[in-house]
This record gives sequence, structure tokens and C-alpha cells, in this order.
Amino acid sequence: MEGIVLSPSDFAALLNQTLEMAYPVVTIEGELSNFRVSKNRWVYFDLQDELASIKFFGTVYSLPGPLEDGMKVRVSGSPRLHPRFGFSVNVLSMTPAGEGSIKKAADLLAAKLQAEGLFDEERKRPLPQIPEVIGLVTAAQSAAYADFIKILNERWGGVEIHLIDVYVQGASAAPQIVRAIEYFNALSRLPDVLVITRGGGSAEDLASFSDERVVRAVAASRIPTLVAVGHEVDVSLAELAADLRASTPSNAAQLVVPHRRETIAGLGVAKKSVFEVVSQRLEAERRANREGREYLTSQVLLLLKNLQNNIISTRKLMSVLDPQAALKRGYAIVRKGGHVLGSIKGLKGGDRLGIQLADGTINAEISGK
Amino acid sequence: MAQQAKNYKQMSDELNKLIEWFESDELNLDEAVGKYEQAMQLISEMESHLKTAENKVKKIAVKFESD
Repeated sequence: MEGIVLSPSDFAALLNQTLEMAYPVVTIEGELSNFRVSKNRWVYFDLQDELASIKFFGTVYSLPGPLEDGMKVRVSGSPRLHPRFGFSVNVLSMTPAGEGSIKKAADLLAAKLQAEGLFDEERKRPLPQIPEVIGLVTAAQSAAYADFIKILNERWGGVEIHLIDVYVQGASAAPQIVRAIEYFNALSRLPDVLVITRGGGSAEDLASFSDERVVRAVAASRIPTLVAVGHEVDVSLAELAADLRASTPSNAAQLVVPHRRETIAGLGVAKKSVFEVVSQRLEAERRANREGREYLTSQVLLLLKNLQNNIISTRKLMSVLDPQAALKRGYAIVRKGGHVLGSIKGLKGGDRLGIQLADGTINAEISGK
Repeated sequence: MAQQAKNYKQMSDELNKLIEWFESDELNLDEAVGKYEQAMQLISEMESHLKTAENKVKKIAVKFESD
């Protein structure tokens, strides 16, 4: 090569060709520094250790979430010599590395999503009481899947389960889970509930469930979501974004369907209380009816009694008015020429009178006046 | 029931008129005896009317008590 003179562009092209042949993709882990985002799209940073500092270039789409200088990250990318700006590694993917950095990254992401309102209680929708179709996102070969199905069948039968088998850890887990959620949400007949679950594991194993893409897909789901990640300490961000979270896959099955025995018992109680309510109502109506009837009867009888009392007083009055009664007491009615006399005026000696007593009439003549 | 109540009222009005007549001054014995008899007749009718009504009410009450 010594005798060959190259132009700067030729040299850059030649070096890039060599780099591509020798190191198509390299993975480097180091401390993040000079991290900056330009125009909301381009990302520049360095990875360094005690002796070296390497420049990186990428897009925001390759970021695992918010990052800060000082965090330890693992970056996969292609080394390149840019004809103008010099050497850099073009980022293909990057993840936080080491427990401290993973936690730090998760905290930063959590704060950002929290601020956006993805975890707000007001967003939570109730799950259907008894789902007919469940969309299940988990690994088909996992204990999580077996536990979920076992507990589900113990509690409630006849639920249709559509499983999408995904990786639940590793680099492909997050995109697969996202695609599964999007697939279910695009169906013409939506499942009644989405269950996204896996068993416990190390913080690194569970990282996909705090991946920003997964968290956003869970939050955006039109179908109510239940996320269950078996673990003891931290809650994954996908669980916070879900409508409901469960502690384990078994617990998810407990929350997603009622127990048939409890439901049947509940129905029995409901039946009894409905019967009681109706009986009480009937009894109250019957009593009111009976009281009304008794009151009515007593009112009518009272009215009749009053009328009868009136008649009795009228009878007493009539006995006073009876002309015969007066005659019986010794009074007499005196007539002259058929007319009843009320006065002695106009009478003279020799006039003939009729005198009626109780038991008959006598004829008499006035002898003097 | 309304028809019967009206009948009773008619009898009652008639009786009141008769009693009013007795309370007026003119006294004609024959007329008085006639009206007296009329009044007594009315009173009997009213009494039996009331008795019938009472029996009917009691019978109805018993009939509907049993259910």
C-alpha cells in the first residue's frame, strides 16, 4: 500500500470497508459521558473507562429510555470513519448495564412516564367480571403459562384463551411483547382482557417489563390489561401502566376470573335475599290492604250506626207527636160541624158539639156559657 | 250503592218534611193521624233499609277477610 496514493475520501472508504469486514458489529460497555440529543432526533455520546474514550452516534429510536452521564451502558454498533467528522460507532442498540445503571435508567424512565400521566389512577379501567376471551402474552414453555392456565381452569371453565408465545427476557422480548399487544388490539373482535405475564427473575431478566416501548404499548391498549410479573422487590413499569397488576401468574388468574364456587354461593345468597325482599314487600302490602279493608268496613258500619241512632231519636220524637197519645193522656178534640175548635169564641148555648176521646166520640150540647 | 244511598236520602227528606209539618201550628187531626202513620211507615222502611245495608256490609267484609 505504501506506493499507492489515496485521496482522503478513498482512504475513508477503504477503511470503512475494512472495518465492515473485520468488525461488522461490536458491543462495548462503558461509562456514559457527554450525552446529548440534537434536534430531538440525533444522539451523541462517549463511552469511557480509565484509559479510553470512544465516540458514538445514533438516533433517539435506539435509546432504551432516558439516560444520564455516569451511567454504565452496553452498546452494540458498527464502527465507522465518517469522511468529515472522524471516527464513531453507529449505535444499533443500547441497554443500561449493571444493577446500578439499570435501576437508575428505570428510575429516570419511571419519572418521565409518571409525568406524562401513564400511571395515573384515573386511567385505570375495570376488568370485565367474567371474560369470555383472554388474550395471553407470555412464553408458552414457561411455568408462568402453566400456573396461569392451571389456576384459571380451577376457578372458571370455558374461557377462550388466545396465546401469543413471546420471549419474556432478552433483547427480543420487548419488541415481541409490543407486537403481541398491538396484534390483539388490531383484531376485529377484541379479547375482553389482555394478560401479560412472566415468572420471577433477576432485575436484568425483568428489564423488558420496564422497557419504555412495552410500557407505552400497555398504556395504549384499547383492551383492559392485567400485567403480572413474579418478583418480590420492585414493581415493573408495565405493571404500573396496566389497568390491574398481579403479583404472580397464579395471582393473575385469580384476579381475571371469579371462583365458580364463590359465584354459585353468591347467587344462592342473592336468590335468598331477593326472595326475602319480595316476601317482605308482599307481606307489607297485604297488611296495608287488610288494615285498609278493616278501616273501610268500620267506617261504613259507623255511618250505619249513626243513621240508626238518628232513627231512634226520630221515633222518640214521633211518640210525642202522636195525636192519639195526647187523647190517651185525657185530652179531647172538640169539633163543631166537622171543624176542630181551637177557641170558645162564637159558641152559644144549644150548639151541638162532637167530643173525641181516646176510645171514641160523644155528641154533646152546650147547656151554658 | 249510590242508588240506594239516594233512596235513603229521599226517604229521609220526606220524613223531615213530615216532622216539620207537625211542628207548624195548624192542627188537623185526621191529617195529623195520616201524616203520623206515613212517618212511622217511613221510619220502618228506613230502619229495614239500614239493617239490610249493615248485613250486606258485614257479609262483604267476611267474604274478603278470608283471602
